[in-house]
Amino acid sequence: MTEPVLQVERLSVDYEVGAGTFHAVQDVSFELHPGRVLGIVGETGCGKSTLAHAIPRLLQEPPARIRSGSVRFRGIDLLKLPRWQLPRVRGTGISMVFQEPINSLNPAYRIYDQVAEAIHIRRLRESGQAPGLVSPQEPFDYSKPKMPKTGEVLLKPLVPSRGPASRRPTFSKDAQDLRVTVLEYLKLVRINDPETILNLYPHELSGGMRQRVMIAIALSGRPSLLIADEPTSALDITIQAQVLTLMKELMTEIRTSILFISHDLGVIAEMADDVGVMYAGHLVELGPVDQVYRDPRHPYTKGLLRSAPNKYKAQGPLPSLPGSVPNLSRLPGGCPFHPRCVLAQADCTKDPGPKLTKAVDAAGPEHLAACYYSKEVPGIP
Amino acid sequence: MRANPLTLVGFVMVVLIVIVASLVVLLPPIGQALVGHPVSILPYGPNYYPSPCPTRIVTTGNFSYPTCTLPPSTEHLLGTDNLGRDMLSRVMAALPLDLAIGFVVTAFAALLGGSLGLVAGYWDQPRTIKGAISVAILRLTDIFLAFPSLVLALAIAATLGRGTLPTVLAILLTWWPYYVRLVRGEVLVVKHQPYVTAAKAAGLSDLRILIRHVIRNILEPVTVYYTLDVGTVLVTFSTISFIGIGVPLDVPEWGNMVEYYQTQNLMGIAPWTILAAGGAIFLTVLAFSLLGDGLRDVLDPRSRRALAQAAVPTTVAAPAALGEA
Repeated sequence: MTEPVLQVERLSVDYEVGAGTFHAVQDVSFELHPGRVLGIVGETGCGKSTLAHAIPRLLQEPPARIRSGSVRFRGIDLLKLPRWQLPRVRGTGISMVFQEPINSLNPAYRIYDQVAEAIHIRRLRESGQAPGLVSPQEPFDYSKPKMPKTGEVLLKPLVPSRGPASRRPTFSKDAQDLRVTVLEYLKLVRINDPETILNLYPHELSGGMRQRVMIAIALSGRPSLLIADEPTSALDITIQAQVLTLMKELMTEIRTSILFISHDLGVIAEMADDVGVMYAGHLVELGPVDQVYRDPRHPYTKGLLRSAPNKYKAQGPLPSLPGSVPNLSRLPGGCPFHPRCVLAQADCTKDPGPKLTKAVDAAGPEHLAACYYSKEVPGIP
Repeated sequence: MRANPLTLVGFVMVVLIVIVASLVVLLPPIGQALVGHPVSILPYGPNYYPSPCPTRIVTTGNFSYPTCTLPPSTEHLLGTDNLGRDMLSRVMAALPLDLAIGFVVTAFAALLGGSLGLVAGYWDQPRTIKGAISVAILRLTDIFLAFPSLVLALAIAATLGRGTLPTVLAILLTWWPYYVRLVRGEVLVVKHQPYVTAAKAAGLSDLRILIRHVIRNILEPVTVYYTLDVGTVLVTFSTISFIGIGVPLDVPEWGNMVEYYQTQNLMGIAPWTILAAGGAIFLTVLAFSLLGDGLRDVLDPRSRRALAQAAVPTTVAAPAALGEA
């Protein structure tokens, strides 16, 4: 097994606000190996986005506070890094695609400037003119063979385009070179007519186009880890499909490790190699997607999967979990899921709750569940 | 611009005012170099009075007395004052100083207050050294804002003594806190925008984000406020002079002209003197206010939308409003 790109150990994040302390992420541990895609799935407010923002330390601190744990990214403990060194890891080490493509581009600059800025920074770091903590890596060897995309390989430098001259005059060779690279990345994210797009302002683009530009910016740093925080949830359904297809294709081309956050079980099934299920700030189940989906070993995952309408609606009304999601400032002791769980016994209420361990009788050793009774989960109707 | 023709009026007025002011300053040396003798666009020197001045006899009640004031005529377009000085010359001679006060003092106040506001807004994390600095800046601002600006400016000007520079300093010292507040508020809005987080995620350093992304996005409200403020500063400056603790009397300045002619009781016998100086203040401030209002409409997307809706006939606007809701 290769060394993991990202090792998160017992990470806990709180929000300290007037109403109390909210434990948004509790004791979350996982590893992400080169070239793999880890999906994190869970309902609204379960801490997915907080987790995603905590890794490159993009949380607003305060109100957020990283209480404990460690985040090791290629050997560097990001939580111990002084704040002023963080920008050196971001962009070329870890980059991120956000939920809101509408506001994630600066309205005051043209698309060209925004993509060029990211490329410029990466080049400064590659040439040693600006300090970067991690060297930008060439694409990884993939630990799992994937289907190569048929057709052109878009990452290869393209011949400078002979399209209509840009309104922005480019004088030096460097500037010309930068422009070609910007065009390359816009083509990489399948933007038609990138020559025109270059000179547009963000408000002139649709949501899907903006998200493509955001993806281009995130990829142009050649990051070793890409965090996609619900990249499609703000888009409408047809555009979602387009952007997901694009990301799927890019995965086979770029082969970066990806942490993919979503609330959509179907999207995760489509995109990810591994899946982590979060509930009330806890990672309750972690394993390869096919195993977790076929044979869930945590009652919560089981409940989630059991409510997929197109699979189960023929069997009558879909089941629902009793009760509601606990308040993150007053989590129940022990397993956070026990008040709603059909398998709960007396020991489920005792602190500390169940750790993420190998699920009993699971198909593979990588399938982990935080449940004392993971053996009985398949028996739940 | 198209939606509000007054913006164009304001813009043209500002341009004309600036051109005249530059000519008053620039023409004499350039003209002298070109033709070899002193040249000016002023009809007369601002402090030149003919001696003896042409007199006219004014009768008020039972009294008749001679005065040098002449009503507007083709020779003296705005008339003359009690010493026989040409009013047009004086008003024009005062233009560069008053305009420079308006522009430069406001610019300095905007730069000083703006930089402090940037610091206070951008590095406001509590319990850090930077946060302590930003709190200190804000409390200092509060102290200055606690006094009405005109009263504070008057107090400082009175303490520093009569003169142009003390008056400028007085205004500068009272004017920056408004920019601290304005800029800090805008920075707080902008720095929590997703595009700033996205810029952080792209690996930009704090300073680069501040310079490239934050400043660029707060420029518009600051520009608008600045334009509107030029007029206000001008009025304040004139007010200080009017009260008699500003610019010395031998320096042509609109505020102290109004004050001087008023103490000479010219309102009754030669109202054109006071009206010329007061009218100059009025027109300049009006020009900047119109331009500022127009700029706000053009630059602020919210009021731009309001304009667009106002431009559409109501029958069409109603369904559009429903659709948006």
